[in-house]
Parts: sequence; structure tokens; C-alpha cells
Amino acid sequence: MTSAGARKGWRSHFAVQQATLLLAIGILVVTVLAYLGFFQSQFQRMPNDYAWDSTITNALPLVFAGVGQGIVVLTRGLDLSVGGTMDLTNALAATHMTSSAGGMLGWSLIILAIGAGIGAVNGLLVTVGRLQPIVVTIGTMSILQGVAAAVLPQPGGSIPAAYTDVMGNTGSPVGVVFVAVILAFWWLLRRRPLGVALYAIGNDPAAAAANGVNVARTKVAAYVLSGTLAAAAGLFLAAGSSGGDATGGDSYLLASFAAVVLGGVSFRGGRGSMVGVVCGAGVLTVLVSLLFYAHVNSLYESFYQGLFLIVAVLLGLGVTAWTSRTRRGGAR
Amino acid sequence: MNPMKWPPGRRTLAYSFLAVILLLVVGAILKPGILSGSSLRAIGELAAFVGFVGVGQTMVFLLGGIDFSVVWVLNASAILVVAQAAGKDAGLPLALALTLALGAVVGLANGVGVAYFGISPIVMTIGTNGIIEGLALGQSKGLTCGSCGSAPAPGLTAAMQGRVGGVPGVVLVWIGIILLISLLLSGTTYGRRVYATGVNPVASYLAGVGVRPVTVSVYVISGLFAAVAGIMLVTFGGGASLGLGDPYLLESIAAAVIGGVSVLGGRGHYIGTVAGALALVILVTILNAEQIPEYARDIIYGGVIIVIVLLYGREKRTA
Amino acid sequence: MTAAGTERPLLEAAGITKAFGPVRALADGSLDLRPGEVHALVGENGAGKSTLIKVLSGVLRADAGEIRVDGGPADLSGPPAARKLGFGTVFQELSLLPWMPVAENLLIDRMPRGRAGLIRRRSLAAEAEEIFARYGIESIDPREIPDRLSLADRQVVEIVRALHRRPRVLFLDEATASLSKHQVDWLFEVIARQRAEGCCVVFTSHRWKEVEQVADRITVFRNGRKVATRASLDEGEAVMLMTGRRVGELYPPRPRAAPEAGPLLEADGLRADGVGGVSFSLRRGEVLGVGGLAGQGQRELFLALYGVRRLRDGTVAIGGRRRKIRRPADAIRARVGMALVPEDRKGEGLLLPLPIRDNLTLPILGRLSAGGLVRRTEERKLVEKLIGQLQIGGQGGASRRPSEAVDTLSGGNQQKVLLGRWLMAESEILLLYDVTRGVDVATKHDLYQLIASLAADGKGILLYSSDTDEIAHLCERVLVMREGRIAAELAGDDVGTEKIVAASVMEREEAVAGD
Repeated sequence: MTSAGARKGWRSHFAVQQATLLLAIGILVVTVLAYLGFFQSQFQRMPNDYAWDSTITNALPLVFAGVGQGIVVLTRGLDLSVGGTMDLTNALAATHMTSSAGGMLGWSLIILAIGAGIGAVNGLLVTVGRLQPIVVTIGTMSILQGVAAAVLPQPGGSIPAAYTDVMGNTGSPVGVVFVAVILAFWWLLRRRPLGVALYAIGNDPAAAAANGVNVARTKVAAYVLSGTLAAAAGLFLAAGSSGGDATGGDSYLLASFAAVVLGGVSFRGGRGSMVGVVCGAGVLTVLVSLLFYAHVNSLYESFYQGLFLIVAVLLGLGVTAWTSRTRRGGAR
Repeated sequence: MNPMKWPPGRRTLAYSFLAVILLLVVGAILKPGILSGSSLRAIGELAAFVGFVGVGQTMVFLLGGIDFSVVWVLNASAILVVAQAAGKDAGLPLALALTLALGAVVGLANGVGVAYFGISPIVMTIGTNGIIEGLALGQSKGLTCGSCGSAPAPGLTAAMQGRVGGVPGVVLVWIGIILLISLLLSGTTYGRRVYATGVNPVASYLAGVGVRPVTVSVYVISGLFAAVAGIMLVTFGGGASLGLGDPYLLESIAAAVIGGVSVLGGRGHYIGTVAGALALVILVTILNAEQIPEYARDIIYGGVIIVIVLLYGREKRTA
Repeated sequence: MTAAGTERPLLEAAGITKAFGPVRALADGSLDLRPGEVHALVGENGAGKSTLIKVLSGVLRADAGEIRVDGGPADLSGPPAARKLGFGTVFQELSLLPWMPVAENLLIDRMPRGRAGLIRRRSLAAEAEEIFARYGIESIDPREIPDRLSLADRQVVEIVRALHRRPRVLFLDEATASLSKHQVDWLFEVIARQRAEGCCVVFTSHRWKEVEQVADRITVFRNGRKVATRASLDEGEAVMLMTGRRVGELYPPRPRAAPEAGPLLEADGLRADGVGGVSFSLRRGEVLGVGGLAGQGQRELFLALYGVRRLRDGTVAIGGRRRKIRRPADAIRARVGMALVPEDRKGEGLLLPLPIRDNLTLPILGRLSAGGLVRRTEERKLVEKLIGQLQIGGQGGASRRPSEAVDTLSGGNQQKVLLGRWLMAESEILLLYDVTRGVDVATKHDLYQLIASLAADGKGILLYSSDTDEIAHLCERVLVMREGRIAAELAGDDVGTEKIVAASVMEREEAVAGD
């Protein structure tokens, strides 16, 4: 049998194979520490529970949209319709949701199903239609924005207060619960054949097919997950305000990419973890508060976000290059 | 020559011009006024703006990339050219030079990030878009700065809106650009290298093409023409405004796709994008005449993009 | 041997055809397999062996033909269907997922499940370790990712995965190409075990010795057709069947450099990623071979010479003058131009959807232009002349117009365009990397003639081929590479297939020193 001593422990494998995930966690820690520093110097105290809860609750739309985007990126695709899906689901929630418990639950499920349907259309156009994901989802993005504007021409409508209490309460740890839900979902997905297949087709679609993975079905599933999670993000967005806005989701498109990049998911597919994406979404949310407490003019917000995005992607590429350099050194 | 035997590139080009003619015929039936001088002029002007942004998007597509930063390069250029000239012709040359330089610098940053650091074009151009957005908003104090509200320099407005033989200045500029870009793509060594790089960067590199410099140059061109579009647009809006450039990302992409430019790189021509821009604008003109609501435009845009690529933009079935 | 001949065939395939665009990979693929036999498939590169194996593995769908298993029609609609029939395959292009741990690769379709059908990720590595142990593999860590394994280790993982699926028919497509001698012995033991258990093993290899050693029956392919199936075959007969000519007829007389010819390219102490100190000199009119097992740094050496891989150390002199070559453009422009013709014609050589013209003149556009504008008339004349000279479009047939796209040409004609590009550029040094791979016999013959005539014109040619025979017949001198270094240099009478192979697979005697 093998001498275990000759092997590296699982920790060193993890460090090399998940280097970008560790980087994402590192960036989150540094960002939170910087935030705490600015908060402390301003108020001479640490943030209270309310501040934590509201930050996490505010992060929810981005966490869900980002994880959806991340799953598609994992398969070498991308989903530009995330923002449009959020627009439409947000508008539907604001115009249709009734305040009875059944109404809220029923409409939530209907809206999630609509998101899944949007994802299925994207996925089928990409696979059966053999079209480029970027063109397909730009098309559906435009359609969804139009439909959202038709559903809710002006910002308004209403979200039942009870819904906000459950889904978007900034004064209770509900945000932590939903973050736990998405992490648990990811944990389960990783242990299902679909999770293996998502990684496999991102690694090498031809090799995956030769190993019996149904590439088309897996891609469609990725877009369906992305659509469903974007619909959930739209619901969180609605719950976070008293009314709806048919353009409220647009800014989440770019942000979802930023969360994926900060989370260390490779745009070449096949590498990365949604745990990283959750961290990335956290970084972007904390960054807004950080800039606020650092007295940065809010007009400059997107400047710092853009800069942060590019620096993060460079760091990620550096880490990837470093881990593969150690390989070549070892093979010599 | 039998059109069915044409190479695929020429066939899609023919389709897109056929679409333009068809739309004009349909328009003339639904609304006879569409063929009047003033209506055609308006179509030309509106298409020119799409066409300016479309230069960059086409070139970047030819390399298999995409440029999201055109939105805020356009917005920032509009703000810069107005604020710098402060409504006076004397300041115009410097304002134009600075604005074009802004576009070129953003393009340079995009190109270097993509070509030398291997950053995905989507991520890179989203990043620079954010950087320019923040800088433009911050420096102009959210478009409330003293000179931000100025009217565009009168000389510029006169040149772009003035007519030569009934043709608006902005359309003449566009025609010049169409000729220039067509020559660049079809007649020069540079054009050959762009297509080669777009088709297969590895093979091109091994054949001695400077793949990285070519990539950088293409993003610089994209940035430059987004700035040009910003300069032109501001003369028609009467001043800079936020969200001026927002529709042009989608429209430039739609025009290129309708014109048969492939996002995978190496296929298509600016002439196609020109046809795509005209087709889109004529379509909108007809829809406006039919009093179709604003939101329907987005839906139709999206639908048209998908239908067009289903018709001729499909990937080959992989063996 | 058992009385296999009397048994009912396990698999019968007849008249299988498969085309990729204008290229016909299989014209009439036939094969019959019996349980408990080791069946070798032999033929040249591009003869259709791999295509047939892919069809039988469900990876490719045949255009036509009949496949029967156990006497009944077989469903080969996809890899899972093939697996259901008990067909397991080790592909020539590895099918491992580069960034997923070895354990996941090994168990991808049979992950250990626990409660609620969830995959027990924790026990993956242990289970993989157990499987490796069953086949006597101790040196591969199942937690490692293939991206960080050597080519040989990846090949072993691939083989173990196929074995673990307990196939009735095991296809091994060039599975020994990158294995060390020790690993080849291991594989042959495994094959013997499979055979004893009644499994049928289908085996392809370029090394005749291996075929002779393990095969019960041999089927020969040529130009996409089955030529013969025999229980025994000697090498001369085999070559005759595989190529349609005698050994001597396929190759031109071996080109020889004039004894007084000066050095054209001198490399001294080259070090780069994968290249550990290589020195040699190439003379005018010489065809210098680079041999060895696959993946021993040959590719890296070619890329380093051409400026693609950064040189960490060492110097390159061209025509007696030291040159800094940092990128291909430098190599092409150097006073005595250099050219690289890569093995992957489609991926790294040609611009398939673009016209023949654009493909041919890309490196010399600078010379063909004035003020950045291409001089079209001059270009067309040059291109038309070359098309005629190389008979692009086939002998006697209608030659192609310069504006026709390269992807409308057959594989052999595409290869001519690629070589023609460098004839136009008047490159003096040609780095030919496995250029006859996947090319039919007739074109191969043409290419050999072309190589010989280029050498006769005084060009210097560095030739790597995965087909050792080719090197043995075309080269005056051969550098055999192992682990990034030159392990042996053969010249004169020592240049021969046997000796090159022997020098390639010698076990390393001393530990390889690090950087």
C-alpha cells in the first residue's frame, strides 16, 4: 500500500486548488476590517447588531443574483438577463402580490417559476438554438426590461408590509438565514450529479460528454438556476422597499459579474466556488458602507467599485498563475 | 452570380441590406411620409449615432471581444466637450482634443487589460465603465458643475446640424467614417491582421502577427468612436444629460449583430453594421408612427436580435 | 490462444463511414471482435483507427454502416449507451477534466452515494486510492488535479478509469504513446489479465514491437478502409498493407547536406519551461530529426526556438549571428527567416474561414504593401503562382482561386497551404512539428518529396514526428529527447527506427538534476 507520508495533506491540495476562493475570503476579511476601522474612528464604537443585520439583508439581492451568474459562468456561459429578470420579478411583486399569507407565498412561487422559465428559454436558445450566450441574453434582457416597464410603467405599486418583515427585515437576522439557505443549497448541489456535471462541462465540454455527461441538459439547468435565483433576487429587492421599480434590477447585472469575479470564479469556466461568490457579494455591499464612512463622495462610488473589480481580477489572475507556476517547477 | 453560392459573409450582408429596403417599403405603405426629405434626414442622423458607436463595437466583435465601456465613455465625452468649451467656439479645439484623448485612454486601458493581462473583455470593460462613471459624476458634481450646463459650442452645433446639399453635417461625417473604416478593414494590412487575429489568435501569433498590439488598437478605436458619438450627440440634445449614452450599448450591439458581425470574432464587416443601424432606426421610426409605446421598443429590439441570430448567427454543429 | 475462432463474434462492424466536412475520415470501417482476444488496429496516422474507435465509443455518430453486438443491432447513440454495452475507451486525446481532482475524474459516473442519494465527497479520495491499489498504482495522489500531473500519469489515470468500469471491450487508442517502459510493462500485464477474464482488448500503437508482443489478431486500416485482418503479420507485410507501397517507395532518398555546408541555426544551452539545457546545430540542406516519446520537451523546444516560450538561458545564433528572438515575428523577420509549422493545423496553423490568399500572405504583408495598403495585384500574382506550383486543389483537377476559403479544402491541401505560406516567405529554417499527422498517404508522399526538395535547395529543417519511421527515413541525424534534454544523438548508420525507439524508452540511469 501507499505510504501516506509521501503524500501532501489535503490542506495543501485545498490551498492550491482553491487559491482563488481563499483570496475571496481574504478580500472579504480585509474589507470588513477596513469598514470596522472607519466605523470605529467615526463613532468610537463597533457596529451594533442592527448595522450587521441590515448590511446582510441589503446584500441578499446581490448574493442571489451573483450565485446565479456564477453557476452560469462556471459552465463557460454568461447571463446578461439577470438584471432584466430582476426588473420583471420586482415589478410583478409590486403589482400583484396580495397581503394574505397564501397570496405572498403563492406569488413568490409563481415569480420563482417565471424566473425558471426565463432561464429555460435562455438555456434552450443557447443549446438547441446553438447561439452565443452573450447575444441570447442581451436579447432577452431587452425583452424583459420592456415587459417590466409594461407591467409597472412608473415606480410604485406596493409590497405587503408583512412580506418586508419576513424577507427584508433589516432589524432581524433574517438575512443570515437566507445566506445560510443559499450556502446549504450550494452544499447540496455539489453533492448531486448536476453539481459534478456543472464543473465537468466548464472544465472541458468534449471530455465531459465522453464521460457521459449530458452537456445540453446541464447547460439548460445552469440557466434555469440562474433565472430562478435572479427571480429570488428580485423578490428580495422588492421586500427591501415598499414599492417596485421596473429598472431597479438593472444595476445588478454589472454587480453580479463583479461578485463572480471577486468570488474567484474563472471566466474560462470549471473553476471556482459559489462560497466565493457569496463573499464577493459581501465585499461589494460592505464596500458601499466603507466608502460612506470613509467620507468618499457617493458620486465616486462606481469609480471605486470599478477599480476594485479590476484590482481583484488582477489579483485572481496572479494567484492562478502562481499556482500553475509551482506545477511547472514541480514537473521539471 | 447565384446568391445561394455566395460566401456566407456576403450573403448575410445582402440580407441586412435587403432588410433595410424591405423596412423602407413597409414604412412607405404604413406611413407615406417616411420617404420625405425631413424624415430620411432624421433617420440618417439617428442611425449615424448608432453607427459611430458601432465602429468600435464592430472592431471589438471582430476580435471576439465586447466593449461595455462605450456607455460611460459616451456620457463622459458629452459632459467633457460641453464643460471644457463652456459654450464658446474658442475653447472648442482643446475640448475636442481632450475628449478624443479621453476615449483613446479608456480604450488603451481596456486593450492593455485584455491583451496583456488576460482579463476577460466583459470584466475589463465593466470595470473601466465604472471608473469613468465615477470620475464623470464626481468631477462634474453630478452634472451640477458651473460649466456642465452650458450649451454645446455653437460652431460644433452649426457644423453637425448644418446641411450640405440637403445632407446634414453629421451624416456627412458618418459617410466619411464609413469609407474610412471600409478601407481600413478591406484594403490595409491592418485589416488583414484584425481578421486573422479574430479568427485564430494563436495561429496569427505564430504567423508573426502582433496579436497584442492589434487587440489594444481595436479597443482604442472603440474608445475613440464612443467619444466621437458623445461629441455628436451633445450637439443634438442641446447639452449634456445623464443617461444620454445608455441606449447605445444595446443599439450598437444590435446593429452589429443584425449586420452579420459575429461575436465569436473574424466574421463580418462595418458595412453590415451600417445596414443594421439603418434597419434598427427605420424600425423604430415605423413603430413610433404606429404609436407603439416606448417599452415595446425594448421588446422588439430584443426579439429582433434573437430572431436575426437564429436566422444566420448560429454556431456550426460541433462534430 | 484459446479456440476463440470458433466463438460467436462479440462485435461486428461493417461499412462504417464518417466525414468531417470535405474530409472523409472513414470510408469503409469494418471490424470483428471476439471475447478474450487482444486485437490490434494498425494503420498510419489518419487511416481511420481513432475515428472508428470514437464511433464504437459513442462519441461520434457514424454517417452510415452497421454495428452488431452479440449478433443483434447495437445502440451507440452516445457514450452512456456505449458504456451500457460494456465498451470502455482510453482516448488518444486525453478526456480527463483538468481542474477536478483525480478521484472525481476516476469516479465521475459512479460517485459514492450516501443518505438521500448525496455524493459522499469525503470518501472519494479513499475510494480512489483503493481502486489505484487494486491495479498496483501507488504513485498518483487522488487528491491532485490532472492539470498538475505529468502526461504519463494522466494516461495511467485514464486507463485505470476505463478498467474500473469493468468493460467487455476495452479500446486503448495510443495508450502507450507517453508511457515509460516500466508503465508499458504494467499496462501489458493488465491487458493479459483482462484477456484471461474474457474481456476483449482493442489496441492501437505506432510501435510495431508492442503490436507483435500483445496482439492475437491484427486488423490493418488504410485511407479509412479496412484492408485485412490477420492472426499474424510480419513488419514488412504490415507496412505494405498500411501504406500500399514498400517502405522504400513511400520515402524519397534520404536528403544529405553537403559536407562543407555551414551551420544555419546554432542553439547553445537552451533552457525554458520543459526544456532543460539543449544544444545542437543545424546545417544548410540538413534534415535534423527530433525524436523521443511524446511529451518529452520536443514541443517546448520548438516553441522556445520560435520565440513563443521565453528562454531562461542559452543562446540562438542564426547564420552565425546571435539573435534575440522574443516573439514569432522576430523569428520570421530574422535575416535568415525561421518558420514553424505546428502539428495542430486547424488550431494553430490556419485561418480556416479566411481565403487561401489571406492565409498565404499573412507573414509577408509588410513586403506586399505600400503605406499600409495591400498591393492586391502583386499579391494575387504571387498567390496564383504558388497555388499552381503546389497543386493546391489536387493534381490535374481544377486548382483553387485565391479567394476561396481554406475550410473548403481537404486536409492534405490545407497542409500544403500551411507549408506554402513559408515557401512564400522564403524562410530558410523550417521547424516542422508533426506535420504529417492526420494526412492521407498520397499527400504524405508529396510532403516527403517537398521536404527533400527544400533540403536540396539548402534550407535547414528541424523535424519532429510522432511517427518514428518518418524521422528514421528522412533525417541524417536525430536528437532523441527525454525529460527536456537530449538523451542521445544518433547519426549515420545509427539512424533507424529500432535505435531511436530504444534510445527513447531507456530507463533513466541517473537522477535528473534540477535547474
